[in-house]
Amino acid sequence: MDWQALTLSVKLSLVTLLFLLPIGILLGRWLAYRQFWGKSLLQTLLALPLVLPPTVLGYYLLVAFSPNQGLGLWLVNTFGATLIFNFQGLVLASIIFNLPFAIHPMQRAFSAIPREIREAAACCGMRPSLVLWKIELPLAWPGIVSAMVMCFAHTLGEFGIVLMVGGNIPSETQTIAIAIYDRVQSFDDHAAAVMSFSLLLFSMLTISFTYWLSARSERTHD
Amino acid sequence: MLFTPTLSAAEIPVIAAASNLKFALEDIATAFHQETGKSLRISYSSSGNLTRQIQQGGPFELFLSANAQYIEQLYQQYKTLDRGQVFALGRLALLTHIDSDLKIDAQLNGLKQALQSRQLQRIAIANPKHAPFGIAAREVLQQQGLWNTIQTHLILGENAAQATQFASSGAAQVGLVSYSLALAPALRNRVRYVLISDLLHQPLQQTAALLNNAGDTAKLFFHYLQQEKARGILSRHGYTLP
Amino acid sequence: MTDSGIHITLQQAAPIPLSVQLECKSGELLALVGPSGSGKTTVLRAIAGLYQAQNSTIICQDEVWQNSTQNLFLAPHQRHVGLVFQNYALFPHMTVLENIQQAITHLPKQQRQAQALELLKKVHLEGLEQRYPKKLSGGQQQRVAVARALARQPKVLLLDEPFSAVDQVTRRKLYRELLALRESLAMPMILVTHDLEESTLLADRIALLHKGEILQTGAPEVVAAHPKSATIARLMDQQNLFTAQVIAHDQKTQKTHLRWQGMLLEATYQAQFAINENVCWMIQSANILLHRRNRSSNGEKENPLQGQITEYMESSGLAHLRVQVDKQLDTTMIISVPLHVAKRNALGLHEKIGISLLSEGIHLMPYQALRSEN
Repeated sequence: MDWQALTLSVKLSLVTLLFLLPIGILLGRWLAYRQFWGKSLLQTLLALPLVLPPTVLGYYLLVAFSPNQGLGLWLVNTFGATLIFNFQGLVLASIIFNLPFAIHPMQRAFSAIPREIREAAACCGMRPSLVLWKIELPLAWPGIVSAMVMCFAHTLGEFGIVLMVGGNIPSETQTIAIAIYDRVQSFDDHAAAVMSFSLLLFSMLTISFTYWLSARSERTHD
Repeated sequence: MLFTPTLSAAEIPVIAAASNLKFALEDIATAFHQETGKSLRISYSSSGNLTRQIQQGGPFELFLSANAQYIEQLYQQYKTLDRGQVFALGRLALLTHIDSDLKIDAQLNGLKQALQSRQLQRIAIANPKHAPFGIAAREVLQQQGLWNTIQTHLILGENAAQATQFASSGAAQVGLVSYSLALAPALRNRVRYVLISDLLHQPLQQTAALLNNAGDTAKLFFHYLQQEKARGILSRHGYTLP
Repeated sequence: MTDSGIHITLQQAAPIPLSVQLECKSGELLALVGPSGSGKTTVLRAIAGLYQAQNSTIICQDEVWQNSTQNLFLAPHQRHVGLVFQNYALFPHMTVLENIQQAITHLPKQQRQAQALELLKKVHLEGLEQRYPKKLSGGQQQRVAVARALARQPKVLLLDEPFSAVDQVTRRKLYRELLALRESLAMPMILVTHDLEESTLLADRIALLHKGEILQTGAPEVVAAHPKSATIARLMDQQNLFTAQVIAHDQKTQKTHLRWQGMLLEATYQAQFAINENVCWMIQSANILLHRRNRSSNGEKENPLQGQITEYMESSGLAHLRVQVDKQLDTTMIISVPLHVAKRNALGLHEKIGISLLSEGIHLMPYQALRSEN
């Protein structure tokens, strides 16, 4: 078991979650409650990562952040920093790639809250931030947790983009999925087997937890 | 938190190294650490892929390429301090799974026979597009007049290591791969192999070059590579020394 | 002198046409009545601030909640409204007590629980504090919704078809409770319903809403007996609606003479209609007298008609008759009489009877084409 790679993967997943939790809640809620011109276009864009081959996204990220031109060059000149071949770049790629996994369940969770309940809360004298805190979040919570769990698991397993945008740099961008690939290429079947099986177990746990959570929320909030 | 400066030399430097050097470099790095107390992080991939990453600003301080052309290309683009130093010469081997009954020999006659009698299914080589060992494998097959007929049987590994993995696992019947990888301890009782004459291909000049942001440790290692201890390790792993 | 009532003016052309002017005094229960789609719920939501209508003014107990000309609009949480939703909208993740406490923002935390318990007692739900909404019956949920609305110490109580989701028996019980509760409430109350009977039972005044427009307001009996138009009469479910022509006005006898289907009718004096003008007229069942079989009386001399019972139905202690007027095959009158009267006069299907239309019950309205005469 490559503990360095595993730690890196877990760190990447957690940092991604840190960003996706507020982004998912805000966007998911906004999409659930509002109708506006261009909404279906926005929803299509947000759903793209679901069907887009990871290498396509990887390619566009490379083009965008290559420090030889455009945005990448500006970043180097302004901050002395890049967003490829490092952890920060992986975080960015991971956030983009997980957007639908974060937003869709949260959007569903928020739209499942009957509008009348939010209105009743307002009539009780709650200002909008309190309605969010006391009414919406508690009711949408299972959907939010579910989304976070899916994003965590999905990031843990992400391969194609990490390889393209991160390279294979130990303790920087060599996530556990890459490490497995690396071990296979080093003819270290034992290590590859141990890590693969661990990830398999973890994925099963994740799915079971998500199903259990949605079954439980159906029972309490019907 | 999102933007931090690129790696400073004070941290453990990252070395870009062609996949075929894997086992040799690990031993050299261990010896280096024992002697100097300094650590390295090594990122393995095909030379072409690593060249691209360096062009795109990858945080490497030293590049060990499987041929001199990629270094030259980077030198022309002002990415390296100089034209680099050849520190070893790579060799090719014909490799097959130990249980396979395919005849392997240094002239590739067994291969030719298998091809003609339609017994050959798949042969793995590294991708010539970005792996020098793949280019060399192509040259060998061209020299023996097999290149055109063997096209449909080719499996391309993304780098020298993957090609070897295909052949050693049996996914491909046979592989024309890096000799140093064929010698890997992990493969000891799993494969049969035969060394291919280096007259059949252009020299596989393993070239090392320091990159622009090279720090002290990287420079130290660059020199270490060319010294006696490292050369001995390289020789043990099947490289010819310049 | 503070005005403790509510004044509402909504004047909007699109997207939902509204032409509403309403007043409701403190302690008064106003029913907003109309068929579905008439805009009743929209009006209620506008009062609560959940819907922002254009060109509107809403002033409640001297507080300006909305004034379009001054660009003033208070959000719902800034108004003190008590709104009982049609489906109650209780917070499913909170107990009954917690639901009610959410609206008690004006007291410190320690006192909130006591106040909530008080309100629970008021709606006869002691003992159910720790229950969750999904474990409550429809009637219980409704009471919690009312308690929560009252917990807000609202300046107006709004009820959106609060009885539509419960069964008949529970509904009657809730009516009685609401009427009892009313006694202690010093605020205007506006009830939205499509049920005329409910509005007659509960309301001091009704406002009839049709396609976003208030057609008539007044006490339920008055609007039912004196609708301003045939459309209103139909909305008030008046079934004896016909057209006729004014022949003469007799100021001395205080009667207006009509020609109806070749017959002469005498109505009370309603001189606002010109001679020879076509009019619509209606009469309520209560103003139709049944000629008794055995004994005749003087009252029977007013506008007498002969007819045959073509439909006969008994329910709730009443007999409902459809009487086809003799010689007028297309003209029928709908009458309801107490069951004992029907029995005593041996009324039944196909029986011939005589009826009298009391002239004071014949109410005239401007002419409009009726789709079918009764």
